[in-house]
Amino acid sequence: MSRTPSSAAAAAVVALGAPAPAAPGSLASRLGRAIALVAFIVLVVVLGLTLAPANALELQYAVSLTLFAVATNLILGFGGLVSFGQGIFYGVGAYTVALGWMHQSLDFTEAMVLAPLFGAVAAVPLGMLALRTRRLYFSLLTLTMSQLAFVIAENQTNLTGGTNGVFGAMVPTWLLDPHTSFLFTAAIVAVSIAVLWKVVHSPFGLVLRAIRDNRERVEALGVNVYAHELAAFVISAFFCALAGSLFVVYSQSSYPEILNWTASGVPVFMAVIGGMYSFFGPVVGAFVYEFASHYLIEYTQDWQLVIGVVLLAIVLLRPDGLAGSLGSLRARLRRRRQPAAARPAEDLATPDDAGGRP
Amino acid sequence: MARFLTETIGTLSDASSLFVVAAGLTLVFGAMRVINLAHGTFYMYGAFAVTTFAGTASGLRFWVAIVVAALVVAALGAVVQLGVVRFVVGKEPLTQLVATFAVLYILADVALHLWGSGARSVSAPLGVSGTFTLAGAYLPVYDLVIIGVAVLVGLVLWLLLSHTSLGWMIRAAVDDPELLQSGGVNLRRLHLAVFATGALLAALAGAIITPQISVAPGMDQSIIVSSLLVVVIGGLGSVVGTAFAALIIGIADTVGTLVDPAWASTFMYFAVILVLVVRPWGLFGTPER
Repeated sequence: MSRTPSSAAAAAVVALGAPAPAAPGSLASRLGRAIALVAFIVLVVVLGLTLAPANALELQYAVSLTLFAVATNLILGFGGLVSFGQGIFYGVGAYTVALGWMHQSLDFTEAMVLAPLFGAVAAVPLGMLALRTRRLYFSLLTLTMSQLAFVIAENQTNLTGGTNGVFGAMVPTWLLDPHTSFLFTAAIVAVSIAVLWKVVHSPFGLVLRAIRDNRERVEALGVNVYAHELAAFVISAFFCALAGSLFVVYSQSSYPEILNWTASGVPVFMAVIGGMYSFFGPVVGAFVYEFASHYLIEYTQDWQLVIGVVLLAIVLLRPDGLAGSLGSLRARLRRRRQPAAARPAEDLATPDDAGGRP
Repeated sequence: MARFLTETIGTLSDASSLFVVAAGLTLVFGAMRVINLAHGTFYMYGAFAVTTFAGTASGLRFWVAIVVAALVVAALGAVVQLGVVRFVVGKEPLTQLVATFAVLYILADVALHLWGSGARSVSAPLGVSGTFTLAGAYLPVYDLVIIGVAVLVGLVLWLLLSHTSLGWMIRAAVDDPELLQSGGVNLRRLHLAVFATGALLAALAGAIITPQISVAPGMDQSIIVSSLLVVVIGGLGSVVGTAFAALIIGIADTVGTLVDPAWASTFMYFAVILVLVVRPWGLFGTPER
């Protein structure tokens, strides 16, 4: 990401809600951000309740995907770990609800509680293994694991229903109304994203970012890097699995395609589109990606072409994503108004350099 | 004995075609430090191109079609290099993975327009179709063709990399690109040549295997996973490692099918995980700093 000046990228984070270090006007801008956030949530909820059922359902799916993208971005943007395997945990979450219903006639509420826990438990051995490798090997190993999960889900027909997956009345009747299930999803996603926000902005989150930026230095400070990365991986998996269980609420089914390697790529693309160095960037990316692909499928068969071109354009021209572009615009405006000395120190949340150093 | 021979030749044939695809992937990585997720796309294009060029007539035209397909896809590879990959050389893995994945998406869509969504097939020419008998086993003649091509590709690559000046340029392109450039080598042209060769190998593998498979969309996404397994086991950038790893994957798959068909397709993944637990940088790779 060395193409864009890091200050612009950092400004993006600040603009979209990273903790702005004490700077003139920060209270006002924080208040502004909070109001914008509340307004956005109100807008989504009002839309979800007033839209036609089919559209409300679509919005519900997009909302559940924002959790998937933000949870993936915990390790991607803030941990510097490019995982092409978060689809595994999404799948674990979905299959926990579906298989619990099919084999154990598990109560829906119990299954919803178990799903994220199972995701976290699965992430411990997988993370321990994957985090032995670095950088590109980590990406490729997680991609491999994702495909393994897909193959298992597809071939163990007795357990998982094979290629067709599991369909049925696994969602209780009170959740079948599109508006109710939308509210249910939105509430879970809002709470989860708030928790993830806390994680990112806790001392733990700061250490995570420090590891991303300069692993050796953090190691030299006596921090157990491996343990921190593993913890982040498990937390991410917990919320990915929760997002997966929300997929069942949306589709009342679970099938192998949700955990193959291209499915694991989707939250990564959402983060890249929206901007992975800002907390809410992946939310933007998830909405853009989901609505784009949904409406593109309706109007053209060439959705792969369009998404491919968009991804290419962003990654080559705007490596900071949409949030980054917005942020650099804001920073430019702010710079025009402020003398250089008064500018906030903005290098907290973004990698100071190419980002991908060992 | 007959059973053993059948399985051995089958395994060798599978490993051979896998080796040819993966060799292209690892060659590109070795020279440019780029993992190309669209590599499987070149394989699919090679296969589809043969179904177009070979038509229904078999015989000499089939072999010509294979050569033409490989060359056409090599040209496509050059276009991808100039249009996209050139800009992500030296960038972080995420940028490279997303950019090349975007290429995969775009070319998959183009392939749908060119060849439709149905499956296509080509039959092997008379001379190399059918079976031959050895020690009581009936073996497909065409398996020998595939193995022969892989051995040839392996030999040529080995000679190229270790016994020619082009070989040391490719190695130097990663170790010290600046010194290489100041020595008067055009790095861009070198990258272009290597990337086109990588695409050519993928297309060759896809073209040569057409008589044994049904050619359909989705091939690109499945072969790239197998090739990634191979290069990760072998160690990124190592052609020798790729050959070994292709064999390991082939054997894992065959043994898996014999032991438990329901779990067969998982064996190769467990092989990868096993290797990476012991050597996180692959059998013949070097640890990443």
